[in-house]
This record gives sequence, C-alpha cells and structure tokens, in this order.
Amino acid sequence: MKKRGRGMACMWYPIGFTVAANPSAATVKVNTDGTATLLTGTVETGQGALTVLAQIAAETLGLATDDVHVVSGDTDVTPMDTGAIASRTTYVTGNAIVRAAEKARDILFEAAAPLLNVKPEQLEVRDRRIQVLGFPARSVAIDKVVHHSETVLGNPAIGSASYNPPTVDMDPETGQGKPFNTYVYATQIADVEVDDETGEVEILKIVAVHDCGTPINPMLVEGQIQGGISMGVGFALQEEILFEEGRQINPNLTNYIMPTSLDMPDIEVGLVDNYDPTGPFGAKGAGEPTAVPTAACIMNAIYDAVGVRITALPATAERVLTAINEKRAAEQADAA
Amino acid sequence: MATRVKDVQTNVEDLVTAREARAPSRQPLAVPIDQPVTFPLELPESEARLRTPAVGQRATRPDGRLHGLGQTQYIDDITFPHMLHAKILRSEYAHARIVSIDTSEAEKMPGVIATLTGAEVPENSFGPTYQDQPILAYPIARHRGDGVAAVAATTEQFALDALEKIRVEYEPLPAVFDPLEALEDDSPKVHGGDTNIYTSKVIKKGDVEAGLAASDHVFERRFSTQMVEHVPLEPHATIASWDGNGRVSIWSSLGRITLGREDLARTLQMPQSRIRLIGTVVGGNFGGKNEITNEPIVALLSRKSRRPVKAIYSRGDEFVSSTIRHPFIMDYTTGVDNEGRILARKIRLVLDGGAYCSWTGTTIGKGSILAPGPYNIDNVLVEAYAVYTNKTTTGAMRGFGAPQVCFAYESQMDDMADALGIDPLEIRLRNGFSENSLSPTGQSLQSVALKESLTQAADRFRWKEWQA
Repeated sequence: MKKRGRGMACMWYPIGFTVAANPSAATVKVNTDGTATLLTGTVETGQGALTVLAQIAAETLGLATDDVHVVSGDTDVTPMDTGAIASRTTYVTGNAIVRAAEKARDILFEAAAPLLNVKPEQLEVRDRRIQVLGFPARSVAIDKVVHHSETVLGNPAIGSASYNPPTVDMDPETGQGKPFNTYVYATQIADVEVDDETGEVEILKIVAVHDCGTPINPMLVEGQIQGGISMGVGFALQEEILFEEGRQINPNLTNYIMPTSLDMPDIEVGLVDNYDPTGPFGAKGAGEPTAVPTAACIMNAIYDAVGVRITALPATAERVLTAINEKRAAEQADAA
Repeated sequence: MATRVKDVQTNVEDLVTAREARAPSRQPLAVPIDQPVTFPLELPESEARLRTPAVGQRATRPDGRLHGLGQTQYIDDITFPHMLHAKILRSEYAHARIVSIDTSEAEKMPGVIATLTGAEVPENSFGPTYQDQPILAYPIARHRGDGVAAVAATTEQFALDALEKIRVEYEPLPAVFDPLEALEDDSPKVHGGDTNIYTSKVIKKGDVEAGLAASDHVFERRFSTQMVEHVPLEPHATIASWDGNGRVSIWSSLGRITLGREDLARTLQMPQSRIRLIGTVVGGNFGGKNEITNEPIVALLSRKSRRPVKAIYSRGDEFVSSTIRHPFIMDYTTGVDNEGRILARKIRLVLDGGAYCSWTGTTIGKGSILAPGPYNIDNVLVEAYAVYTNKTTTGAMRGFGAPQVCFAYESQMDDMADALGIDPLEIRLRNGFSENSLSPTGQSLQSVALKESLTQAADRFRWKEWQA
C-alpha cells in the first residue's frame, strides 16, 4: 500500500573557504562606445556564473548585462582567482568586480565632473549615463565620457581590484573563531509516497526556499536549486559506489543509478527577501547549499509516511523495505 | 523569424546525420566527416539582457545560447594537427609496492609515440592541503584508481591496446577498506606511520557533559552516508601542447586555473611564466574538477612526443580515479528540555578519507562547524577524524560535508519532535538561529534568514494544513 508522508529540513551553509585566504581579482575596462569588458580568472562550470558576474559589472557602471563581455579562464590574460569552488564566485569574485568597476567609474567621474560643472562626488551612473546626484536632468552619456577621458585626457577607464573575505582563525583546541564572513540559510520540504510492500519511494513534490542574499539573477538561482535538488535526490535514494575488496563494482551509469528527469519531483522554489551588506549589491551565494537539505527532508518524509527512521543513505527500496519489515516484526513481538 | 528557426532545425538534423555517419557501426572511424555548422547571427536578444538596472534581471546566458546551437567547444571538440591521445593504466591492487614497470613492449605497438611512468615526473606529488598524492603512483599504489603508467598514441584505441602490453610487477601490501577498522591500532597503515588519522577537528563551546546531564531527554543515534560520484556530463579532459620556446599551453576542464598553474609549475618544475593554462567551458564540476589530475601526465607526454596530446577520461576513469564524496559515520547525542529546547549536542564524525587527502581539510572543517545545525546551542562538542583507506580518494563535492551532517542533525530534530509531540516546524523555530545568534565557533551571525526560509517554505507547502 502506498503511504503518503511529508518532511522538512533546514540548513546553514558558509560562503568561501574555511579561514584560509581565497581571494579573487578582476579587471574592468570600459570601451569608448560605452560597452565594457570584464576579465576574470574564474571558469564557467555550467552554473551561469559569468552572466551573474557581467550583471554585477554592469550594475556598477550603470550598464545593461548585454553591454558587458566577459573574458575568463586563461592564465595568460585573466587576473588570479581562487576559482569555481565553495559557493564563492558571486560573493568573492563579485565583490572584486564591484571594486574594479568602481575604479573604472571613478576615472569617468573625474572626466565628467568638469563637463557637468560639479564635483566627482556629486555624480552617479544610471541607464548608460553619468548624472548629477539629485539633479538627473544634468547628465552626459557614458560613451561620450569614456571617449573624452581616453582620447582627450589620456586616461582610459580601466580598473583592477581584488577581494578576500575577512576571517578570524580558529583556536586549535576549541575551534572558536570566525571561519567565514557570511552564511546562507534554506528550508526544503518533501511530499513523498512510500510503497510499504516494495519499499519504493516516490517524491511527489519539493518546496525549496533559499536565502542567497539579493538574487543577482533569480532565474539562475532557480536553476541552481533545481540542479541541487536532483543531486540531493540521487544522494537520498539511489546513488552509491559499491566496493569489493577496494575495487569499485559499479563504475558505470548502468549500475550506478542516478536520477533522470523522470525521477524529478515537482519543485516549487521560493527566495527569501534578504540583503547582506558585505556582498555585491547584497548577494551571498547559491551553488552548493541547494543540494544540502534535500536528502534530510526526504528521510523525514519517509519517517512520516511509514514510521521508519533511515539511518544509512541511500534509502534504496531494499533498505526501506528491510526497515519496514523490522518495524513490523518488532511490533508483532511487542504484541505477542 | 520563422525561417531562422527552420534554419536551426535543419542544422540540428545535419548534425545528427553527421553523428550517425560517424558511428562505428555505419562507417569506419578513419573517414573524417567535416560537417560545417552554420548558425543564425541575428537571433533576438532577451529583453532582460538589455534592461537597466542589471541586478535582479532574469538575464539569459550567452553560453547557454551556444550550448543550444551546438557551438560550445568542449575539449573533446578541440583538435590540433598531429595530436596524440593518452590513456592511463590503473593499479591492479588496492595497496601494493611497484617493483618494476616495463613499457618496452608497449612502445613497440603500432601508433605508440611515448610512454610515461611516475619515476619520470619531476615532482611526483600534489594535493591542495598535503601533497600526499602521486601524479603516477611510484613506488606505492594506494588504491585501484592510482595511475601507474601512461601511453600517448595516434589514436585512443592504439593507446588502449598499448596499455595491455605494459608489464608491472607488484608486491601486494595489506590493505584497509573500512574507516572504523582503519582507526584501529593494528590496521594496515595506508601512508605508513602509526595512524591512519590524517586530519582532525574539534569544536568546543560550553560544557557538553553538564548540558546533557541537565537535559530532560537525551537522544542518541548513529547515521552514515555513502560514497557518491559527481558524474559530470563532461569527464576530466586535457590537451597539452609545447612550443619552440619551451612554453606549454594546457587546455583543461579544471575549475580553478590560478592554483592549477601553481600545481603544474610545482609538479613540472618550471616557472609559471612558461605555463599557459586555459580553463575551457566546463561540462559540470560539482567539486570534482578543483585540482589537477591528468594535466601533468598529458604535459609530459606532449613534451616527450613533441606533439599535442589529448586525454579524456572514460566514464570508468571518472569513477575510479577522480575524487568522490566522503562517506561519514556520525554519532549524535542531543539533550533537550521538555519544551524541545536543545541544551547540548555531542557529535563524533569519522570521515572515510580514501587513499589521499585531497580536499578533506575543507570537508572536515565545514562538516564539523556545520554539524550541530543552524540552532542556538550553548553546549557543543564536535570531534571529527578523517582516516586513510585504500579506496577511491574522497575530495571536494558540492556541500563539503554539509549534506552528510544535515541528514544527521535534521533526522534527529524530527526524532526529538516526534518523541516530545512538537510540530517539526515549531521545534526548528524554537531553536533556530536568528540575527546575532552565536555559531558553534562563537561567531556572531549576520543577515540570518533561517526562520524566514522555514515559514515561507511552510506557507508554500501549506504545512499547517497537513499537520492538522
């Protein structure tokens, strides 16, 4: 008989390395037509990081995402970066990009100030223009300023900067310290159906609500969450490398079972409205944490459905059925 | 517009036809199919990419468009004239001393241009924390995924055939596979010395024994997790090519090229200025591509052969020789009062570290810090140990220990809620972090949105209706 159950799990997860320095550097160049080039040493690993980084550069310069071309991943060309790891790209590389783009922007403010007859501190960028704070009617197109700065003043708008999250080392005896600069939080709730005759678990739905600070690109955060849940589903129910005397016996996709699109539940994503003042435009990160609470909420839903506590992952049908049978045997022994 | 869509469809059909034509069953592999791929240049840009302010926009990805059009160049798509293909021979034993390696017969095989063994690697060790891992095992192999020799040949098949001709003489050594057995004094020691524990961590806050003694209820349970692979669609891939100035260019699926170049400079014993490392578009990383793997092997085979050399892991290579997720054995003891407030939590973690350290330092650090969960607990003790075993190396994988400990701490939260008759949502809200909460390491937490995530998720799920 199929039994329905629901379970939740929440989690916390840090951004960046544990105490260890993990800097990123960036270079931003504004072209004379008002478009820009961003140089970053990180690598696109499929998550959409380069688009998020372009949005951060664009925001700092008052441009649109499409105005920024990103050059990445070449040690001959791009500045150092600790890399696509530890959910750090948006936060750490993003913070470096804000600082680099601000330096390029400051060069443009210096050039624009005399044109607008104000001081550089009185300027802001918006919608591809440099305008006077509090008096937007007085403004000049950014491409005019770049051209003026570069070809008349001889000062091209190029900025480079780096960022490293501040941490405090951990005491070796007690672990007390500040290992990370910020953390994200999340809750996932699973709705499952467990067949108590076969032990098979079907996940009907997962609601996932994540905090990533300001979502720089909500669509890409949603994509990360869906991808993370698929990894979490595999970790929860299916995936396991099996060994015999140190030899892997299922090193192939025939016998190592991963979730396919057919195994994926309905996913409803929510993002918490949050702002981290230490992140670029309030952003933190969204990479790894999306996969963290999935297995836990599924196990709690299995418990809710059939009353068995799975203590060893993955909760394969065999393992769930064994637990159900043990529970029945224990109940019968109690009754007898 | 309609014609453009049709163009794309036609091109896709052409591609499929070309793929089928290349399939071994249809035609011999030697026939090159050079199908030109045309693509539309004037597809409209998504509105969100053109809008300001840029932050908050659902901007589409330029790389996504190239993926959709089949234009993305992964390493498998990149080729150079006279390029060779490399394959790596893996250890026959989980733990053995390599007495000798004879590659002479392999070198006589058709198409074979160069071979490589660990003795030829200038600095045959690497690792992000401890440099305890060989590029090619020599003289000790510590798990079956250890490479012991490599071949570069004119085709992948020639390279595979040549691997079978390499004669390796092993002296098998006692091996240990279970992390708890590996903790015992008389267990075989994977790296010699008197213990297999290679890193440990303690998080201590308050007085955990006093907290447990003062608790109304104490819950104890052991949880464990398994080894899993990252299974990226694109396996590890590398091309290396030298120029006449003694400078090497390496195209790699590595996710962190700055440190990758440092590792290459160290293992190849050459200046960083003579190494160009290009991080290509990566077909999935998830933590598995955060350190060098076959890059030095491919670079050295390229130097020996004076030709560009490519190596692409098979799915089997990917499973046995790339890193995987740490299995955890987790003992949780938690004391609560009658209202479900956590007074103390004592945790012992044993991490199966596999044959080499890799990213275990980060995994044990994050795992230990996060292990008590996002809860206000005055008395905490976490003791964590990572142990070597003669199994696949465990390293970085999405979450660095967090999915393991979350499974344990959240399962126990529901155990406690159930025993005390408290709604699982309520017990979490009662104990959860809020702004300025102190973490297990004494850090004052900012921009904390745990309870907001709990209540929003519960609202979306209509949790209260289900509980009623």
